[in-house]
Amino acid sequence: MKICKKGQAGTVQSSDLMVTVEPADALIIEIESTVKKQFEHLIRAKLEQVLAKHGTVSGRISISDRGALDYAIEARLETALQRAGGM
Amino acid sequence: MSASEIAAAKQLIESHGLSFEPGFDNLVGIYEQGELVAVGARAGNVLKMLAVEAEYQGGSLLGEIVTLLVSRGYDAGLDSLFVYTKPEYAGSFQALNFKLLATQAKVALLEYGNGLKKWLAAQSALIKPGCNGAVVMNCNPFTLGHRYLVETAAQQVDNLYLFVVREERSVFPFAVRMRLVKEGVRDIGNVIVLDTGHYLISSATFPTYFLKKDDPVARIQMELDVTLFASRIAPFFGIVRRFVGSEPLCQMTRAYNDTLRELLPAYGIALVEIERKEAISEVISASRVRDLLAHQQLKQLQNHVPASTLAFLGSDEAAPIRRQLEGPPA
Repeated sequence: MKICKKGQAGTVQSSDLMVTVEPADALIIEIESTVKKQFEHLIRAKLEQVLAKHGTVSGRISISDRGALDYAIEARLETALQRAGGM
Repeated sequence: MSASEIAAAKQLIESHGLSFEPGFDNLVGIYEQGELVAVGARAGNVLKMLAVEAEYQGGSLLGEIVTLLVSRGYDAGLDSLFVYTKPEYAGSFQALNFKLLATQAKVALLEYGNGLKKWLAAQSALIKPGCNGAVVMNCNPFTLGHRYLVETAAQQVDNLYLFVVREERSVFPFAVRMRLVKEGVRDIGNVIVLDTGHYLISSATFPTYFLKKDDPVARIQMELDVTLFASRIAPFFGIVRRFVGSEPLCQMTRAYNDTLRELLPAYGIALVEIERKEAISEVISASRVRDLLAHQQLKQLQNHVPASTLAFLGSDEAAPIRRQLEGPPA
């Protein structure tokens, strides 16, 4: 899925995350998280997995996380991608 | 939005010792059984007047308000959002992933997202070793006075960073001010021109400056701005001197210079005040230049502005600016 415009999904609530995606030449993933020290690698792996599943190879993916679980990360990222793909 | 909704918002905001400031792009609220229990507003890239009814604090309402405001700011195309709050509330916002930029005794400034870090990273190619200085200017428009200040300052440091105020609050648009500055200092080798992003004298950090409201609020904002510059921006560029022009005319600018003089030394930065340059018999200032333009006294302008600015002021491109300064025809 190609990122054609800005897209956003999620909230700033505890156990959730806010995802913003926008077009970029390369794939850039920026992670802000209250549990960054412990879980950044797992969050990144999840984001990369979802991006790969949708064939997204470029774009700036920024997340502001407050301890969201995997399924929330997946749902929020997919929603942001859909909004950014003009679907 | 109805008058009663606004009245309820005003009451909730004021009950928290905050004052209701008209002028916002969004005002959002959450009702519980017909009662307004949380409120917040967004004015441009500033979130303000966030308040949660006492018995609902500690829950999810602040997060809900912030989510609503951040989403609306994002829809409006903003890449950075700021919040000013009492220092004791900074922690509540940090828990929502806001980053603390600067604090003063009465106020904390936080940013949603990592804007400052990203902005600095984008400027990293401009970092030069040495004893560096900084000037911050609006340049509305660039005059011989600015030129004199930059020239004098540049002689006293290895590299001079010239920050042009990005905020669009001036007759001359940012792109024009930036271009005239670049043309006007091109021949001075050690001057690096950049803009202030969201992080110097802009409405995000210093709204009262433009409002000419000379009360303690102005003082607090000035201290916050100087703290942000001295603690976050200056160290990144190796800035150890800040240059300003002496200010005989404007009380606000003079108060700002006083604030710089008081606060900078604690951060290892010296303030250097340079006497204003005079043209024939009067001090050169950008406001005088705008006056002359408004009264179509183009001839006198050459005593006040360099050739590059003069060429622009007389150009077709500047016609809308001239018309705006002249005001409606009598």
